Amino acid sequence: MNRLRLLAAVASLLACVPAQATQPDHAAPSADAPTTSTVPTTLGEIGRRVAAAEPGATLVIEPGVYHEHLRLTKPLTIRAGGKVIIDGGGSGDIVEITGPDVTFQGFTVRNTGIDLDKENAAIRVLAPRAVIKDNIVEDVLFGIDLREAPDSLISNNRIGGKALDIARRGDGLRLWRSDRTIVEDNVIHDGRDAILWYSKGVVVRRNTGLDSRYGLHLMFSDDVTITDNEFTRNSVGIYLMYSTGVEIAGNRLIQNRGPSGYGLGLKETDRFVVRGNLMVGNRSGIYIDGSPLAPDVPGEFSANTLAGNDVGITFLPSARGNLIYANNFIDNFNQIAVAGRGNLDANQFWKGDAGNFWSDYTGYDQNHDGVGDFVHESATLFEDLMDREPSLRLFLFSPAQQAVEFVGRAVPAVRPEPKFTDEVPLMRPVPVAALPASSSSTRMPLAAGGAILVLFGSGLLRLVRDPAGGPGGAL
Amino acid sequence: MTTLSLAPNPALRSPPSALRNTLTLARRELRDAVRSRWFLLYTLAFTVLGLAVSFVSAAGTGGSGLSGFGRTTAGLVNLVLLVVPLMALSAGAASIASDRERGMLSYLFSQPMNPSELLLGKFLGLAAALLAAISLGLGSCALILAWKGLRTNPQSMFWLCGLAFMLALGMLSVGMLISTLARRASVAVGTGIFVWLMLVFVSDLALMAGAVALRLRIETLFAASLVNPLQVFKMWSLHAVDANLDVLGPAGLYAVEEYGALLHVMFAGCMVAWVVVPLLLASVVLSRRSPL
Repeated sequence: MNRLRLLAAVASLLACVPAQATQPDHAAPSADAPTTSTVPTTLGEIGRRVAAAEPGATLVIEPGVYHEHLRLTKPLTIRAGGKVIIDGGGSGDIVEITGPDVTFQGFTVRNTGIDLDKENAAIRVLAPRAVIKDNIVEDVLFGIDLREAPDSLISNNRIGGKALDIARRGDGLRLWRSDRTIVEDNVIHDGRDAILWYSKGVVVRRNTGLDSRYGLHLMFSDDVTITDNEFTRNSVGIYLMYSTGVEIAGNRLIQNRGPSGYGLGLKETDRFVVRGNLMVGNRSGIYIDGSPLAPDVPGEFSANTLAGNDVGITFLPSARGNLIYANNFIDNFNQIAVAGRGNLDANQFWKGDAGNFWSDYTGYDQNHDGVGDFVHESATLFEDLMDREPSLRLFLFSPAQQAVEFVGRAVPAVRPEPKFTDEVPLMRPVPVAALPASSSSTRMPLAAGGAILVLFGSGLLRLVRDPAGGPGGAL
Repeated sequence: MTTLSLAPNPALRSPPSALRNTLTLARRELRDAVRSRWFLLYTLAFTVLGLAVSFVSAAGTGGSGLSGFGRTTAGLVNLVLLVVPLMALSAGAASIASDRERGMLSYLFSQPMNPSELLLGKFLGLAAALLAAISLGLGSCALILAWKGLRTNPQSMFWLCGLAFMLALGMLSVGMLISTLARRASVAVGTGIFVWLMLVFVSDLALMAGAVALRLRIETLFAASLVNPLQVFKMWSLHAVDANLDVLGPAGLYAVEEYGALLHVMFAGCMVAWVVVPLLLASVVLSRRSPL
């Protein structure tokens, strides 16, 4: 119980300083990379065929279950000819690639050890230009671990972690000093992070990250392109730290919740562009902490849609130099929040004559130019109180909240300073980018539910008019 | 209303007499309620306001095709918090006191029935009326939301409806306690409205002020808010519909971390206590007091 109390206290602290708390976690295990191999020297069946093959050969492995640990030391193409399962038997790493130009395709690799100190991984790559393609990696501590493996391709793999407590999990995908690697079309679930360390020019596209801690985490990784990914139900969708020149476009960041709970977090990141993303149902759609760090290039946010988040964008008071225009802010409980006190004067909420669409804008557009005739500024007393005293969120959605806001409007003396101003608010939302291709659910169930309720209610009323009431009807 | 026949109803011949008395009274109460102005007015107000909330929240998305049910739920929760307790408290407060005022109570007590049957019968009848009002109101909101293109699981609507009914039961029971204590119907209804004001605004505002001024710990804040049935309803519906209380900030996070799956039980316990305890008290008061 005490531990839980402590956790709760930490959780509330995390609302202020989330990044620092989690960061040393990665640094420690990775600093001594690469570790010594745990792949044993006795060869299994695939191992013997690999040993016999000439460099540059192509091996096709017959279907079956192979209980072995594999080491690939020379350029090779090794492919599964059907359903080939390599089972690590719950110990150590499973596949280690130490030779350059290895293609490893179509396997199912499962059941690594669970030693976090040794970082047991399903597939570890220690050489450049590896191609890891079409594999299923399941029940593993670390999934695919690249260490100094530049120019690799990680494509169309499905990586699932072990059902462990989040603190005991490993990273589904990790790149360590692996520049220009392409990570595409992978599905990573139930891991800790998918993380890039010191890797320049990486492309991350069309991946899906589910139920992990950080869907994608950049540490000191510059010039990375992150496009068309989906990160759902993680603690944080995409978290950028100390990275420069990152493009984030067309991603879907949905339902990332919990004590941190950001769709996109930016910590001391420079020269970034965030365009055409969709953030729905997160605790905070975007979280900005000290970004951009160097004020010469503004951080750019445009054509994003933030809908149904508890907070649309959370700024730490230090955030300055962001340019936020042509985004949709739809029904976030707070559209913009400043953690702690302060205003956002050092950031700009419009560019030229394009502001943002705010679902809570109360003005109108008499000249029909698509831009509201009054500036949009957010100044509600309750939001202001919540920014200062987060525990007051408990009173959200209650009539008391409305009473406070009414007082804030009616009594100028207690009206808070506006947090920000949008000079040219848009009257119509910009086209919503990155919408899921199709939504299977329809409106029918809700209509049916409503009809059932209405029928039930009127049925109850008819109960007393029922002529079968007989003599009772004489009342 | 003026005459009451307790002649055995052929449809109800089989149950034992205590149950039969209770059911007959419940039917009478429901019928009176349905015919009365307050029921019509409250139902209309609840439905119209609910529809307004639904329209506004559907329009707020600006036709982007994205509609946060979270926002809509929040609006409906807010509406239920305002209207349902008022409806239930005033219905409960008027019930016994007005019968006493008109001498009806002594007439009923001359019949072969005991006070707790009377109380339970009235309670059940009014509860059925409130259930009808709530399901009509929320049901038409669901229809409007579906028509406006909201695609969501109807389960959340059922949850909201059931929880609003729980809240109504609790408030009805408090209202009936007030009613047994008061000598006159007008005093009872006035007291009911005062209690409503306390529960809706004053206690929350006081707790807010306390949280800021005394720097209450979140554990204390959460525990204190469990005392107020309105807060319990709100937290419970957020927990059931959105399955995440972290919307409510640190205190909500604390509740989830500390109690997790127990939360449903805790909320249910609080609500049931608010239904049962005042009703028991009312039955004690009613049996001790002269019906005049």
